[in-house]
Amino acid sequence: MVGRNEITKITRAQFFPAVVQKKTENWRLVQICAVSVDHGYEMSYSFCKGYDMETYRLELEEEDEVASITQIYPCAFLQENEAKQLFGVNITNIKPDYKDKVYRIDETTPFKKKE
Amino acid sequence: MDKTRMFAFAGRVLGNLFRKPATTRYPEEPIEYPERMRGHIRVEMENCITCGMCMRSCPSQAIRVDRKAGTWTIERFDCVQCGFCVLACPKKCLFMEKGYTEPDTLKKSETFTKPKEEKKEEADAAGGKPVLDSEKCVYCTLCAKKCPQEAIHVERKEKIWKLDDEKCVECGICAGACPKKAIGLKE
Amino acid sequence: MAKRSIVPFGPQHPVLPEPVHLDLILEDETVVGAVPSIGYIHRGLEKLVDKRDFKQYSYIAERICGICSCGHGLGYCMAIEEVMGIEVPERADYLRVIWVEMSRIHSHLLWLGLLADAMGFESLFMESWRIREKILDMFDETAGGRIIHSVNQVGGVQKDMDSTMLNHLLETVRDMEKDLKPVVDTFLLDYSVQTRLKGTGILTADDAVALGAVGPMLRASGVEYDARVLGYGAYKNLTVGPITSSDGDCYGRCEVRLKELFQSFDLIREAVGKMPAGEISVPVKGNPSGEYFVRIEQPRGEAIYYIKGNGTKYLDRFRLRTPTTSNIPPLVETLKGCQLADVPVLILTIDPCVSCTER
Repeated sequence: MVGRNEITKITRAQFFPAVVQKKTENWRLVQICAVSVDHGYEMSYSFCKGYDMETYRLELEEEDEVASITQIYPCAFLQENEAKQLFGVNITNIKPDYKDKVYRIDETTPFKKKE
Repeated sequence: MDKTRMFAFAGRVLGNLFRKPATTRYPEEPIEYPERMRGHIRVEMENCITCGMCMRSCPSQAIRVDRKAGTWTIERFDCVQCGFCVLACPKKCLFMEKGYTEPDTLKKSETFTKPKEEKKEEADAAGGKPVLDSEKCVYCTLCAKKCPQEAIHVERKEKIWKLDDEKCVECGICAGACPKKAIGLKE
Repeated sequence: MAKRSIVPFGPQHPVLPEPVHLDLILEDETVVGAVPSIGYIHRGLEKLVDKRDFKQYSYIAERICGICSCGHGLGYCMAIEEVMGIEVPERADYLRVIWVEMSRIHSHLLWLGLLADAMGFESLFMESWRIREKILDMFDETAGGRIIHSVNQVGGVQKDMDSTMLNHLLETVRDMEKDLKPVVDTFLLDYSVQTRLKGTGILTADDAVALGAVGPMLRASGVEYDARVLGYGAYKNLTVGPITSSDGDCYGRCEVRLKELFQSFDLIREAVGKMPAGEISVPVKGNPSGEYFVRIEQPRGEAIYYIKGNGTKYLDRFRLRTPTTSNIPPLVETLKGCQLADVPVLILTIDPCVSCTER
């Protein structure tokens, strides 16, 4: 059996309705991944239903704000807090917000710059 | 599956009372290590060409190779026993041996020096940069493929064979791989 | 309403092998809420891809965790192989399955021991770990290390198993199955164990999906999902299916893991029988360029590996989403309404692996 495993690009305007739709269709949140690219970030949100996986790719400028999806998927809080602390992605209204203290480290956004 | 038993483990517990212990009485009884055990790295310095492949492959940066001084140093306490250097070594002079590194109060390193009289013997086996005999060469690119350092650049169409002197570690693998024996090694 | 109080749990606690902290909100003895916090052992291993090339990194990937080390190495190598379009030889696929299933047995036995210890059943704990020792010795013999195996490499496996080793493995598996019988009976039938586990920390199937539970936690709630069914590696030629339980409580999670042990024994036997002769690895030339998500089933649940290569030998990004990251939110949910005395057992039933989670 081969499950689907696709990456779909999505704009910021489409993003929230798409996540809400996934929730109503009972998809499971699998992972959230942040990647630093030139002048910004790529955020990947993966969802699973049965054995199919779909990933939404959101491209952000460095200062862009993105609202947290914890209102829809409460289980996203750990991974969103992590992306915020390690990469400095501007995610707003995470519930609960750990205020950059998920990991007890001294450096701010250590994963942001590529060495 | 809906049964419930009382004292389901009691029989086993009683049995264990009269059994030999499951543990080995170390150190009274010696311990036998299996053949494949990844315990520590051993180097055969006679065959080492100080090319530094091991140093560059080591994920924990435990190995230091000094080409000029001809030394090979390993930080025993940094080594994670992954065995990648053994795979990377072009002369196959590194070995994974059984037996653990002995504990110590301080991190320590071990240095091995290449024996000096090796020079003459080395000349025929390896040593020196590869030199191409362009008449024999068929530009098959086999030497470039085998080179551990990717120091050789071959283009079949234009008949180009180029050596990057900086990258070459004089391992002699290209000379051994050449099907036409077109590569010689010169000091 | 009873007076509320907050009890800190962890980071140091006899039941926890690794540090995780929970603020338990209590009403008398009943937990009404919990706030988890991690972050004591963050090592930044994901960032190390900037400084180590992609072949070296497979050794670092497997050192992310001590228990699922074999699986981490496999997941990482599979992601690289997918991006680079490398076909792994069939024998290597089978060897990988054998090692991964062995590590599942070792992980589940470790967990069973810890669960018995959390319940206060010391002799059952020692018995589980005594049986586990055999599989560790088998690892030592086949891979050269008890915990970190370093067998997976990009393009195949490092070491082969010859027929003496395979026969010894089959013998060990048979012995272990026999030894496990009284242990299984005790976990499933014993009165005192049932009293501790049955009806504790119930997670419904809907909640499990909504909160993103994975692995035995998800399957114990009756959801049929096991990433091995996707058929990566040699699993496409082997009989594998999700093992579920309908209870959704601690007892269900224990039952799922016990049955998975026997499934792993069967898988090892089947894989040894079907394994073809041939090469065990292919040479790797060039550098990865592209991105891919890999899902594999670790003993603790589904793990996600993401790599993004840029055509150089250093990757742009490696990401690992471990099973415990996904299982913490359902844990917080199941803690609500349980008794304070059940909290250690409940935390253990998700099989927390905090070093993995923080990487």
